Amino acid sequence: MQRLLTIMMLGAALVLSGCASKVDYGDAQGRETVNTDFGSTDLQMIAAKMVDDMLVFPPIVQLTQSRRPVVFVDSIKNKTTEHVDTESITDTIQSKLLNSGKFRFVDMTKVESVRQQLDYQSESGLVDPNTAAQMGRQIGAEFMMYGNFSSIVKREGSTKDVYYKFTLKLMNIQTGIIEWANEKEIRKTKTKSLFGL
Amino acid sequence: MDWIRKGCLALACMAMLSGCASSSLFVSYPSQAAKWKAELSHVPATAPSVPTESQGGQSSAHNDETVEQADASPKPAGLAPAPSRVSPVISKLEAATGGADGVLYLQELGRVSQLQGQREASRNAFAGAVAAYDAEDNSARIQVSSLAATGTAMLTNDNARPYIAPDYERIFTRAYQALNYWAAGDTTGTAVELRAAALEQRVAANKREKEIAKAAEDAEENNVDVSQFDGYFEGLDAVAGGVKSSFQNAWTFYLSALFWEAHREYNDALVDYKKALEIHPDSTLLKEDVERVSNAMKGKPVDGGMVAVIYEQSFVQARAEFSLPIPTVHGIFSVAFPTYALEDKPRPDSLRVLDTAMQPLAETEVMADVGALAAKDLKERMPGMLVRQTLRATAKYNLQKEANDNYGAFGAFATQIYNLVSEQADRRSWLTLPAYAQATRFTLPQGEHTLLLSTPQGDATLTVPVVNRGLTVIHVAAVPGRLITRVLPVQEGPL
Repeated sequence: MQRLLTIMMLGAALVLSGCASKVDYGDAQGRETVNTDFGSTDLQMIAAKMVDDMLVFPPIVQLTQSRRPVVFVDSIKNKTTEHVDTESITDTIQSKLLNSGKFRFVDMTKVESVRQQLDYQSESGLVDPNTAAQMGRQIGAEFMMYGNFSSIVKREGSTKDVYYKFTLKLMNIQTGIIEWANEKEIRKTKTKSLFGL
Repeated sequence: MDWIRKGCLALACMAMLSGCASSSLFVSYPSQAAKWKAELSHVPATAPSVPTESQGGQSSAHNDETVEQADASPKPAGLAPAPSRVSPVISKLEAATGGADGVLYLQELGRVSQLQGQREASRNAFAGAVAAYDAEDNSARIQVSSLAATGTAMLTNDNARPYIAPDYERIFTRAYQALNYWAAGDTTGTAVELRAAALEQRVAANKREKEIAKAAEDAEENNVDVSQFDGYFEGLDAVAGGVKSSFQNAWTFYLSALFWEAHREYNDALVDYKKALEIHPDSTLLKEDVERVSNAMKGKPVDGGMVAVIYEQSFVQARAEFSLPIPTVHGIFSVAFPTYALEDKPRPDSLRVLDTAMQPLAETEVMADVGALAAKDLKERMPGMLVRQTLRATAKYNLQKEANDNYGAFGAFATQIYNLVSEQADRRSWLTLPAYAQATRFTLPQGEHTLLLSTPQGDATLTVPVVNRGLTVIHVAAVPGRLITRVLPVQEGPL
């Protein structure tokens, strides 16, 4: 009788634990292969490739030897069939470049807030004029970073193939010369399983 | 009676495995859909009252910002955060989205919310539908749950099978989602959805050939002579009319072509105009479009701003049921097929645009005959349906025979009733789609213009902004008793 109860309880425990949902922490850098949609691994691969390539490109190395050029990031055109937050990709690239100590950035998305703050500091009369940031002292960007993100999707039968191409360019604003450009290609293929629930 | 008990148990088991939430098992889908179609016919008291919606009255709209403002306006103090905003019909629809037919109800919900001006709700619903398509595309080729559903369907009817959205519905979902992003002023989002709509059309074209061939092969293997039913489907052929395929949708191509053209992506625009022209080779409207964009590519853009009217007329007709009683020595069997009847199909009527001097500016053309697409789709599914129908009839016949032999008069009678009642045609399809999706366009000089839209459903006067080399789209949906209009934000400049 005791034995039967134990078995029943074990069985019940097994069944119930199967039903319980679980929360767990994973490795943020781990490979994510849930589906063929754009995912965290793609983002990390793109950012890593772009930054690594840019920092060892000889003219860029030379350029950043004695000074830290100022760059502004234009948007990355999303030409895929998915709603991808391209700003998140450029944010990662920007952070990595900043942390390398080679580049400095100006943020064009925050111009309005900065203007408001400057107006407040100079016009509200609440800020000590000696400490107020002055108008017209910002540093102009020397380079513009921009690019494209496109995809080719093919779906036939049980196979889905997605090809992503991320292109990033660095242009000298004054001369219009593209100083550096690179692209990252990613191919993902998914084949349907034969059996499933 | 042990046998019946076992049978019931097996049925319940299968129903559980298959998800069982197929709400259309015994209640026909068109009668369910009538509720939310009726909901659209009267002005929702709960929706924000915005000037972008009119009922044949005066209305002026510049962009959708007004919706946001109306939404964000502070509620009078002391009022509870109104849960009554959602009508019982809509909440019922929302509840149904969790079932095995969820994708169908999500599509309906997305459309109903969109026409009621609830953009967020609509976007969420369509995103849910798209997620369901992805799940469907990624699902295993042989699924236990779908086998179980087919098993249940074998003893009841095809409504027990989970609803799988046909390609033409997927394409409309993408196009409507693009309109949601468009209305929100999100050009990148709009571009993504329009590209996805084009992708769906391409994928559909690729898979179509194979699928039809396979279905015909299956029918042959199971010794089903498809041609013997041909007589019953004359209506189907008549409704399908001239459409060449069940998914080619010139309306969504036209919508995306307009969008690309406004953003000076002339290459993409030309491709889409040409695809639309391929579907409607006789359209002078489309020929002019192709010519205009070709010129623009050569650096000769037209002056003035483009105004386009996309007009969705009425609701697509529902599937009708064709029931065929078959008397046998063991009792009467009925075989029910879904079909489309020509007499249910509304006639296309166009929308005319007039200026304040009552001079005609343009008249819409039918770009997509949705009823025909649906009929063509049903026809393509027919071989598979007939195979299942034949197997089901055999199963039910055997059931009846067993009952007659072993379970006395009452058992035989009950089985007979069950067989007759359970035989229902699969009449599910997205029913808030328009019967005809139409469009037209014309150019006007820059500035504000007052336009009169005239349809047999009623008239509306709108004031629209026109920007040089920009695009202003007026979205008009004529539902019974009401004309829903809105002006989408002007598109201009490079993406």
